[in-house]
Amino acid sequence: MSTTNTRFPTIGQIVLGLLAVVGISLIAYRFVYGIGAVANLSDGYPWGVWIALDVLTGIALASGGFVMAGTIHLFGGRKFHALARPAILTAFLGYLLFIIGLLVDIGRPWNIWKAMYSWHHESPMFEVAWCVMLYTTVLFLEFLPAVFEKFSLTRIHAYWHSLVPWLIMFMLGFFTLAMTYSWLWAGIIICILLLWELAMRTKLMPRDKQMPIILIMAGVIFSCMHQSSLGTLFLIVPHKLHILWYTPILPALFLLSAIMVAPAMVIVEAILTEKSVGHKAHTHLLSRLGQVIPYLLSLYLLLKVADVVGRGAVPYVFMLNAQAISWWAEITIGCIVPIILFLDPAICNSHKGLLWSSVPVIVGILWNRMNVAVVGIKVEDWEIYYPKWSELFITMGIISIGLLVFQILAKNLPIYESEAPSGAHN
Amino acid sequence: MKAMLIDATRCVGCRSCQIACKEWNNLPGEQTEFFAAKGYQNPRDLSAKTWTLITYNELKVNNRFEWVFGKRQCFHCQEPACATACPVRALEKTSAGPVVYHPNLCLGCRYCQLACPFKIPRFEWHSPVPKITKCTMCADRVAAGLEPACAKACPTDAIIFGERETLAAEAENRIHRNPRGYVHHVYGKDEVGGTCVMHLSNVPFAELGFSPNLPRRSLVQHVQHAMQPIPFLIAGLGIALGAISWIVNRRIELQEKEQQQCPQPTHDSPQ
Repeated sequence: MSTTNTRFPTIGQIVLGLLAVVGISLIAYRFVYGIGAVANLSDGYPWGVWIALDVLTGIALASGGFVMAGTIHLFGGRKFHALARPAILTAFLGYLLFIIGLLVDIGRPWNIWKAMYSWHHESPMFEVAWCVMLYTTVLFLEFLPAVFEKFSLTRIHAYWHSLVPWLIMFMLGFFTLAMTYSWLWAGIIICILLLWELAMRTKLMPRDKQMPIILIMAGVIFSCMHQSSLGTLFLIVPHKLHILWYTPILPALFLLSAIMVAPAMVIVEAILTEKSVGHKAHTHLLSRLGQVIPYLLSLYLLLKVADVVGRGAVPYVFMLNAQAISWWAEITIGCIVPIILFLDPAICNSHKGLLWSSVPVIVGILWNRMNVAVVGIKVEDWEIYYPKWSELFITMGIISIGLLVFQILAKNLPIYESEAPSGAHN
Repeated sequence: MKAMLIDATRCVGCRSCQIACKEWNNLPGEQTEFFAAKGYQNPRDLSAKTWTLITYNELKVNNRFEWVFGKRQCFHCQEPACATACPVRALEKTSAGPVVYHPNLCLGCRYCQLACPFKIPRFEWHSPVPKITKCTMCADRVAAGLEPACAKACPTDAIIFGERETLAAEAENRIHRNPRGYVHHVYGKDEVGGTCVMHLSNVPFAELGFSPNLPRRSLVQHVQHAMQPIPFLIAGLGIALGAISWIVNRRIELQEKEQQQCPQPTHDSPQ
């Protein structure tokens, strides 16, 4: 790891530290005086920016973890190996932050573990709860090798590698049981995983030396379930969610948009940490990622437009109201602008170009989730919800904590590989 | 399944039901205030302390202004969206009819509030130990063979309690016997899959603050298409991801072997 010549603490870190302190104080206040003391939420609008930002956006932006891990270990993109660990760390921290945000947002957080035994598989929120618990565990397991390497725990690393697949089989089997109440389905899932694992142990199927394939598979499966289930949450409110966003395919749109934001997130994160953490971004890898983005965005845009046309919601697109304007903003910033930018090869080859074309993709996702959870929700005969300043400061405080922890971990653990000319991996 | 029928034409606005509800459920009084319109209505809306409320509506009936009283409370849907939404079964539809709440399970996620088409559940926003609150149809009384407190207290029989089928028939019957005295709609008979609290009125229900455009299908059915394929998706992904990784990584392995056997000049290594 190269030595950094940046001062400590930098101005950025001081600002983040202050925001974190303000956030923590407000959270303490909330736990004494109730949610109503810090939020404008009401019985008509029980969900606000916390759900939109901390939960929906936070989880979508953590998609880099499963997309990169899948690309590298399952789909043969081994050349992207250097981007795996930062993406997994980002996702892991993202999920931890999201859980902190959740503990603030839900009213009775001491009951959160009750989802483990009081099962209700009809509820989309039950699926969400289980995916959060299990995928956070998967991310933790995926993050561990960096710790093992740092402290040269070779033997534990070897144990980890051989034991993790069994743990995963148990987790996915249990998850399936909870989602179906069917031992048969749980058995089928375990059998499928068992077959792959046996094929690998008998050397019939190639075995990944770094990561158990089963672990990566579980990460992708739980993520797909989790990302889509966040969309499913809103299927139960046809009477409240605006027609521009209420669609039966909302789960699919949530999943696809999470996948498409993954490369943008990896690019932004790699370039921004270049200075603060002191590593060298892998330009050629990032440009390869940049070249994929317009295709993903176009697919998403196509699906979204086809959906609006198919449901006969086109007239609502051209109305002059907050919802229509916000819909256009989401589409323009999140899809149209970045598609145009990324198609220019010059932009894909420069750090600055990559950074400033990826940022709108991320803003677009944020805008979309805000639209679904806040702008698009309209309750008849109820005073419209606007977030209170303290809601925003709590969210910013939690994000600041995450950024600071990320910097500390990225500096002290082998997360970033130096850009080796001869392909450090394989 | 037990149900309630509330006939706005019989209600005189005495609010005995509100008082009876508070007494039976041990709910505290509220600090009330004057607010625009509906001056006699008290308090303004349902809350964690007020589970049922008589709404005061001065409306034109047969070209005359008249007071029409609506009753706001949980509808105890046959397929309740709140109970479907709840991840931990903290809200439960009992076979007897009432939808009841178990605070020991509740996470406070408030998904029930979002899901409810009637805007009924209330949350204790200013408590560090908040609960979801709503009318329970006096499930404890019903279990003991009694009628809910509000129905018991009603002096004009505007609220009656009984089997849902009997009450639905009675409602149709009242409209049939007095077709000019009622709007021809039993609110709650078909809304969101049917509810266990049904209303009759002599003015359009929208004027009493009832949502007029609710879907007839229960909201539960709107999420089923996304929840039921889950096991198929897990299995499908499990098979597909494993197979793809096998094929792709096997090919990479073979390529590497080939390269080791006849090493070629290094090709496009990263610059």
